[in-house]
Amino acid sequence: MDNTQDLLQYESLAFFGKINASISHELKNIMAIISETAGLLSDLSDMASTGSPVAPDMLTSCTASIAEEIERGFATIRQMNRFSHSVDTPVQSVNLADVLALVIHLTGYLSFAGKVRLKPCEAPKPVVLTCPFLLQAITYQALAHAFKTAEAETEIAVSFQPRNDQAWRIVLTGINGTELQDFPDTITRRMAQSIGVTVHGDSPAGRLELEVPQTLEIGQPEQSSTATPNGSEG
Amino acid sequence: MKVLLVDDEEKFVRMLARRLDLRGIQAECVYTGAEALSLVEKGEHFDVAVLDVKMPGLGGIDLRRKMGEIDPQMKFVFVTGHGSDIDYKIGANEAAFYLPKPLNIDELIKALGKVTGVSPEDTDSQH
Repeated sequence: MDNTQDLLQYESLAFFGKINASISHELKNIMAIISETAGLLSDLSDMASTGSPVAPDMLTSCTASIAEEIERGFATIRQMNRFSHSVDTPVQSVNLADVLALVIHLTGYLSFAGKVRLKPCEAPKPVVLTCPFLLQAITYQALAHAFKTAEAETEIAVSFQPRNDQAWRIVLTGINGTELQDFPDTITRRMAQSIGVTVHGDSPAGRLELEVPQTLEIGQPEQSSTATPNGSEG
Repeated sequence: MKVLLVDDEEKFVRMLARRLDLRGIQAECVYTGAEALSLVEKGEHFDVAVLDVKMPGLGGIDLRRKMGEIDPQMKFVFVTGHGSDIDYKIGANEAAFYLPKPLNIDELIKALGKVTGVSPEDTDSQH
């Protein structure tokens, strides 16, 4: 498989599979808690039927736990639904804040997920015409990389900055600057190039910027790599 | 039989410990690999550790290796919410039993009995 278009399609499918695997893991954990709690209720019921006393607060605690996990399950399914529907339309206008909110939820299912703070964006809204699925994939990989390399308890801050009338910048700060040279990987770089997103890393500042064009030109040629002053590639 | 339960899903571990307790099996709960390792490093002995495979920080497979070096007598059972064939093969190579979530309590107890050589009927059952 050496055709660029085929590779991009396969890599996109691989990303879709990776996200669904992490969601299924989350749902399995939720089911496991509900299963154990239901099992405990069954055990307590058996105890009661033999005349052993059962503390009411134990029953209350169990039922509350089941209710909480069901709500957690629904929240997870909502994110899965949003992610699944992000491929409905290949190119559409999206609010970057909504994209990042979904990506933050999805990266939260990673075992190494850290703390993220999404800063609210003042007017105007950061709306761009792009491929939502690929943009999600790129920002997901950026955040996952930040989590993997961040110091424990570090909070990654995400904000948006307009860049003239042509683009918006998604800015991640609080990153381990020494690891920025490893991002983006080849697959993420290819995805970024396909929708005109450029990646700028500022290692001393621990800052990563994803520049997203306001409008995606269909069929635009792949951008050649250009080094920014601190050596990162775009 | 003294059991150590290690999983970052606190509710899951607490419910499981309660169910094991009702069946006369003493279980201690910790929620990170680091906590579990610390207990063993301090000299706490457990007959068997039930480990979640994927946890933040020190995961189940590395934890099993580190605890096994400190206490070679300790036995291990893995539990996991992951389901790939690769996960299963890795887990099956690393521990005596590899159980998928959601757990079946009777299968877990059977597994605990098999790895420790203690029959479930030998525990002081209150259930």
